[in-house]
Amino acid sequence: MSDFESRGRGGRSGDKDKDKDKEKGRRTFFRRRRMCKFCVEKIDYIGYKDVKLLAPFIPERGKIQPRRISGVCATHQRALQTAIKRARQIALVPYTTD
Amino acid sequence: MSQVRQYELIYITPPETSEDALGELHQQVEKVVHQFGGNIEKSENWGRRKLAYEIARHREGVYVFDVINGPAALNAELDRRLRVVDTVIRHMIVRVDEELGVAERSRVRRKSAMTSRRVRRGLPPEPTEQEKSRRQEEDDDLDGPEMGFRERGDR
Repeated sequence: MSDFESRGRGGRSGDKDKDKDKEKGRRTFFRRRRMCKFCVEKIDYIGYKDVKLLAPFIPERGKIQPRRISGVCATHQRALQTAIKRARQIALVPYTTD
Repeated sequence: MSQVRQYELIYITPPETSEDALGELHQQVEKVVHQFGGNIEKSENWGRRKLAYEIARHREGVYVFDVINGPAALNAELDRRLRVVDTVIRHMIVRVDEELGVAERSRVRRKSAMTSRRVRRGLPPEPTEQEKSRRQEEDDDLDGPEMGFRERGDR
């Protein structure tokens, strides 16, 4: 009984369900092409003091959001990166959270 | 020959620091700045703020922010001195003149590009109020959840 249960959770049948969900998700949910937030809003200078500006690009773990997810253009991602790293130095933004 | 550059200095002191101690610290900074022929353009006290992580067993700190104009040697000296001071638990000096210059130039370039584009199309050089409000409405529907910022599990 317990053997069956553990297999059911972590084993094959679980994976199968996940695959099905994923497939379904892909078919029904088509994501729109994202635009770079900083280009759209015409923000030239990404300052390290502006925590509110940086916060959307720092997921709860504290890492910097990759641009393939946030859709930020390369130029602005670079500026964002330095801004976040500076903000980390003076404890406005965490290095990590757990 | 030393060039004048612009720096931003931020330092954090423990939350229980008295006003007097802060004033003294500010005077110390000012003294060093004047010694090198610089000036403090702006000085702000952000007050008590929560730190994102623990520094020297403090969870909060008093932030002080200064904008300083001065030569490069000033930066080095200030950095060295602040490192020694016990009441400053963290400090950072950032050179900002170049970055702000870049930002300003790109702002100007975009503005002039917009103006010339509009003139070529026979419109007034500045967007009218009507156009501005219309653009606002269009923007609103872009800000929906499908923008996908902060999305999890999307690797």
